[in-house]
Amino acid sequence: MLDQLLNDLGIDGLIERQRAAEAEIQTMGITFTVYSDGDNIDRAWPFDVIPRIIDGDEWNRVEAGLVQRLRALNAFIDDLYNDQRIIADGVFPAELLADSVNYRPECRGVHPAHGVWAHISGSDLVRHDDGQFYVLEDNLRVPSGVSYVLENRAVTKRVFPDLFERQSIRPVDNYTDELNRLLTSIAPHGRRDPQVAVLTPGVFNSAYFEHSFLAQRMGAELVEGDDLVVGPDDVVSMRTIEGLTPVDVIYRRIDDLFLDPEVFRSDSLIGVPGLMRAWRNGTVSIANAPGAGVADDKVVYAWVPDIIRYYMGEEPIIPNVPTWRCMYADERRHVLDNLRELVVKPANESGGYGIVIGDRADDATLRECAAAIEADPRNWVAQPILALSTVPTIVSDSEVAQRHVDLRPFILTGQRSFVTPGGLTRVALPEGSLVVNSSQGGGSKDTWVVDVDRTDT
Amino acid sequence: MALLSRVADRVYWGARYIERAEDTARVLRAFGDLYVDFPIAAGLTWGPLVAITGEAPLIDEAGDRGEQAVLHRLIADRSHSGSIISTIEFARENLRTTREVMPREAWQAINQLSQLSRDEAARAVGRRTRDWFLSRVIEISRRLDGVLESTMTRDAAWHMWRLGRLVERADMTTRVLGVRAAALLRAPVDGLDEVQWMGVLRSVSALQMYQRAVRGPIESGDVLRFLLFHEGFPRSVRSCLVGIQAEALALPDPASVIAQVGAVVAALDACDPDAHDGWAIDADMDRLQLAIADLDRAIISRFFTW
Repeated sequence: MLDQLLNDLGIDGLIERQRAAEAEIQTMGITFTVYSDGDNIDRAWPFDVIPRIIDGDEWNRVEAGLVQRLRALNAFIDDLYNDQRIIADGVFPAELLADSVNYRPECRGVHPAHGVWAHISGSDLVRHDDGQFYVLEDNLRVPSGVSYVLENRAVTKRVFPDLFERQSIRPVDNYTDELNRLLTSIAPHGRRDPQVAVLTPGVFNSAYFEHSFLAQRMGAELVEGDDLVVGPDDVVSMRTIEGLTPVDVIYRRIDDLFLDPEVFRSDSLIGVPGLMRAWRNGTVSIANAPGAGVADDKVVYAWVPDIIRYYMGEEPIIPNVPTWRCMYADERRHVLDNLRELVVKPANESGGYGIVIGDRADDATLRECAAAIEADPRNWVAQPILALSTVPTIVSDSEVAQRHVDLRPFILTGQRSFVTPGGLTRVALPEGSLVVNSSQGGGSKDTWVVDVDRTDT
Repeated sequence: MALLSRVADRVYWGARYIERAEDTARVLRAFGDLYVDFPIAAGLTWGPLVAITGEAPLIDEAGDRGEQAVLHRLIADRSHSGSIISTIEFARENLRTTREVMPREAWQAINQLSQLSRDEAARAVGRRTRDWFLSRVIEISRRLDGVLESTMTRDAAWHMWRLGRLVERADMTTRVLGVRAAALLRAPVDGLDEVQWMGVLRSVSALQMYQRAVRGPIESGDVLRFLLFHEGFPRSVRSCLVGIQAEALALPDPASVIAQVGAVVAALDACDPDAHDGWAIDADMDRLQLAIADLDRAIISRFFTW
């Protein structure tokens, strides 16, 4: 199907659509922000017009796997902050919890609605050369990118209006309704028609566009820390032109440590003093719940298959990438002896920072990497270098070539689960590159989950 | 749904900046026309125009050099906060942070405007594309209001937007008259009085409506009366104040703002349209502008601060 599309259009036709898409992105104001970009903080979103296509049947399986995975991870988080059965049963090592930088003792004993802590998550998938999807990592804190899934589709529809009539492409547009339904469902005391607010660190945050997009699409308020105040009765209110107005549910896009200067970092200027108190007392619901990040560090990742078996009594539907944990002497030895063949990752960085890809690093980098592992083994894991799948991508005004991609679907977990059909496909634009992060020059593609009518053929 | 104070602040300023860009475009377009019509000997210069953005007039250079310098300053100079390109960027930045309350089409209009000014502002300093550029700025700004007019709920954000538009518009009309007063002060004119006052009317797009309302020659007293007091003309100070009062009354607890609207009305009523010398007009416009600045402060302290 993709081949036919590319053939029909030819390179000139493709470039023309690419230009149209870029103009559309400007007019629609689809942007992302780069931190170290001087005065141009607000950049046009990088987009490749050739869609990435995934078969509907294959996707059904991935979807089931993600739902299973997030159910298990949520059960795990709830257990860690309450009974800690998984530790008592010897499945998860107590010392990992003791060392975890994302475990928040302040959250012990809290029971969020439906036992769910990570309501909104984004898991990064890669397709290896065996054709199989693997989960590369889970993002349970403040995963971003979903707005671009919706916007990429909106742009594609405008530049390829003809294609959507002929294909059965699963729509992605209902994500914000599903998110709204989820957030409404966790309101304290089952309150109907609750006031929902999206809490953003502010205009300078790299994902500000998305925060604003989601608030707009849900009819929620977009608030900054300064807009909120917690009263002596633990009620969280917004400062409006009519005075203080109560808030019931906060979809926070601020890291735990900045949420509440009374509990976490006292120098946080973007947080809300008293917010944790209000949350613990159940006057406000927070998604994702504080402390949910305990399950997304790259060390815990290695235990996820066991976590799924433990809580769900099922085998994982989507496999993990094999992962060596440097905290264990034998696995560390293996990593240090095979650095050239491995990708080494710090456990608690996001955005692709700090990753060393063995076969591309020079000797000095590898030596530094080995020293860092020896100095703080728990902070490092390593995985084999995957042959990420590639898809055709426009690389110049006259050429389409294969480039590496990954995929980030977004999973909503509440009373029921929802997975975006497809997700955000990120593409590494330089030839041979494996780095897909938009903050480091990656691009993006619309992702089509296509249901093929097989009765015809 | 109650409007966040911070969002109210940004909507108000978004509206003011857009109005400022539009009004500046109107003034420059009109002045360009006037300038071409004027005999060189009459010594019409561009320098004083800079005062419409609240700055001291540029050191005046006659002819093309003066024209280029002033137009660069007012259209394309990013280091000048009153230039069209800067005010459009400020408006966009304010609207970027209020997208959850404004219709999406409005955001698209402002992006288009921003794209236009980034691409074309520098060239618009020259005469060839200037008129086209200024007209596009006016058109898109009008379209933005058209989008809001036809698709935005009449909620607090809407009233805040209208308030910002009207405060800026009232202020701009007084500034245009102030610039005229300054010109009178510098060079009392002989014989070209009517053309100059016609330029003033054009600057606020009022010439045709003036001619319908006031038959007869174009003369200082009538122009001042029309631009200050005519209740039906949407750019007159009176008409803006009536609108400001109505918008303020639609917002919660407006008493302190309404009181200050009263003070501006008093300053307006004290203006003497039959004063023919620059000093008197200048003093009247100064008083009005100060009263409008106090109104702005009253709006800020009532709605945006806590």
